[in-house]
Amino acid sequence: MRTFFPVEDLARDDRFNQITMRDRMGDARSVLTSGEAAGKRNNNRLTPSRKDASDAARGLMHGIFVGEIQALEGAGRTCFDFETGTEAPFALKLDMARQAWDEARHVEISIMLSNWMGTEIGQYAENTVLFEAACSSDPVLRLAGVNRALEGLAIDVFTTMKEFGDLAGDPYLEFCEDWMLADEVTHVKMGSDWLRRLTEHDPERRKKALEFQGVVDKLFSYGGTRSDSEESPIGLARRFRELAGFSDVEVEDIAAVSREALDERKAAVARMQAAATLAGA
Amino acid sequence: MADPHKPRAPFAPWDRRELPGLFDVEESARRIGNYKWAEMKLFEALGGWVATVPELDVKMRLGTHCYKHAWHSELWHKRLPELREMNPERLTQPANEAMVRFVEALTEPEAPELTIEKLVGVYRVFIPHFISAYTFHKNNTSQITDAPTIRSLNFILQDEFDDWRDGEMLIQSLIETADEVDRAAAHQATLEKLMLEAGGIAGHGSIGGATSPSVTAY
Amino acid sequence: MTGNVTVTPQTFHFVSFDAALIQRVTESLVSALGLGEHPVVIEVDETTPLARVSVDIGETITIRVESGALEDTRKPRMQSEQATATTIGRVLLRARDRLVGGFGEAPADVDLSLAQIAAWEVYCVGRLERLGIKVNQQRWRYNFRNRHGFSDDADASFDRLWASDSLTWGEFSALGAAAP
Repeated sequence: MRTFFPVEDLARDDRFNQITMRDRMGDARSVLTSGEAAGKRNNNRLTPSRKDASDAARGLMHGIFVGEIQALEGAGRTCFDFETGTEAPFALKLDMARQAWDEARHVEISIMLSNWMGTEIGQYAENTVLFEAACSSDPVLRLAGVNRALEGLAIDVFTTMKEFGDLAGDPYLEFCEDWMLADEVTHVKMGSDWLRRLTEHDPERRKKALEFQGVVDKLFSYGGTRSDSEESPIGLARRFRELAGFSDVEVEDIAAVSREALDERKAAVARMQAAATLAGA
Repeated sequence: MADPHKPRAPFAPWDRRELPGLFDVEESARRIGNYKWAEMKLFEALGGWVATVPELDVKMRLGTHCYKHAWHSELWHKRLPELREMNPERLTQPANEAMVRFVEALTEPEAPELTIEKLVGVYRVFIPHFISAYTFHKNNTSQITDAPTIRSLNFILQDEFDDWRDGEMLIQSLIETADEVDRAAAHQATLEKLMLEAGGIAGHGSIGGATSPSVTAY
Repeated sequence: MTGNVTVTPQTFHFVSFDAALIQRVTESLVSALGLGEHPVVIEVDETTPLARVSVDIGETITIRVESGALEDTRKPRMQSEQATATTIGRVLLRARDRLVGGFGEAPADVDLSLAQIAAWEVYCVGRLERLGIKVNQQRWRYNFRNRHGFSDDADASFDRLWASDSLTWGEFSALGAAAP
């Protein structure tokens, strides 16, 4: 078995269809701009009061499901890809193995939740961007990209879904998201702690890792899917991020990056829609 | 009410533990170093394979079992300093060169259509050898002086039996043709020959035999 | 009479949809539902991935559908025949309920509560399943529960609606399914 497994080779059965971030961003349609033609700002936040709430929640739940698979795969690869001691500390690998177990449980929970919500495995396309962030050759960059950026997004998503379950009176959803949220806070904290420890005497490596985290944070804002703005379906879970070890400054940075991603995506969609309209004229 | 002044035997009549054991401190530490090395290689392999297997149920099991073996290696890592080895890495070693080749052969399959080989290596070869080495250790070490090791062995053996059953059931559910039976058997034989050369998880004498040390501890 | 279906646009730029497929599926549904006397116009809004559908019922039945409602969620921007049949079928059944099915006194679509919409969807999709269209009942049960509560009573209402074929608006409301 090779070390450093390429994202293109992630093994899936026939039910799954994988797409890349490029595919996703190449879609000229967007919910972010759909109401703006009428001169109004969209409120896309995922709440039960949305007309399409059930289907939107189902779609997001499937996104969580495939994200958990990739997080499981990423944690597992970190156990294998680096030599113990010289490339990654033994204790770090133990934490990654623990995370693999947690993510495996999250996959199990997600499958059961999807079944509860009436979604089939593989019913939605799988964006493989999460695993891509887990492919770095430096374990510190993986921690920054996966544990702090990706798992940070998971905190935001689970908080949104937990609130959704609570508002809808769905005890099953609320219960599951509550438990998964607890694990994610642990994973982010794990990432924050290891990042500090491994780069304690290497400011250059820390800087590089934080820059990488910034890039991934922006990528994981999915072009505005997650931000403080009501236009984004997923909000920024400030309190849980704080529990996970993010400083106020870091949370503000993520909020700014997410807002920027939202604005950039809206501008890109407007350009693509103008081009498509022109092509159709 | 019991008389608090009445002397009682230090060992209750039902307590039949014995003091003598097969291993001295040094031998126990050596074996535990081998166990830790092997458990590490196993959890790393299981973690690495998660991304390579398309079967969702197998993927999730490998992720779960990955942690269990990591925890076993952690238990052994923590036990080593208690056995006078203050630098656990020094004893975190393969039993011998054949064991290294065994692990290389075990982790060789990568392609998505080789799930049977991956599982056979772990659940029909590696884990059964863990079970035998651990059982031998548990049944032969001093029940009093080495009680902390026995406690860890009991926890670990419970995991190993559970995982062995899980893995064996996955293998049986994946094998659907006579050719696949042959594939599984051939891979098992290849790995068993390497394990035979290695002599087991802790090398020759893993489960006693001619080369096992004599009773030394009182 | 089944040939009175118009689809716009005929060519898509944002998605890879096939107007002929939409037309064929709709014609088949129109025939199965006995709506052949009504011209049907399908207007697809391909600029949004949302899945909202609205219908104007007059001499002509005009269905406005957003592209997400016809999409194969496994393959973004590609069309799903099953989703097309389920989406168009639901709306056509609602139109038929209003035209000939005893739902004359039902409020206009814009005045329906989310709970009423969810209940009507269940009534429609249950009938579509019996027409041979593949549907995932749990999806609709989940939507119904979100609007009517996660309770045994709500589930019992769901089961009755799913199994019903010819309710009037009064019967539909009496089932307790239309409670806001």
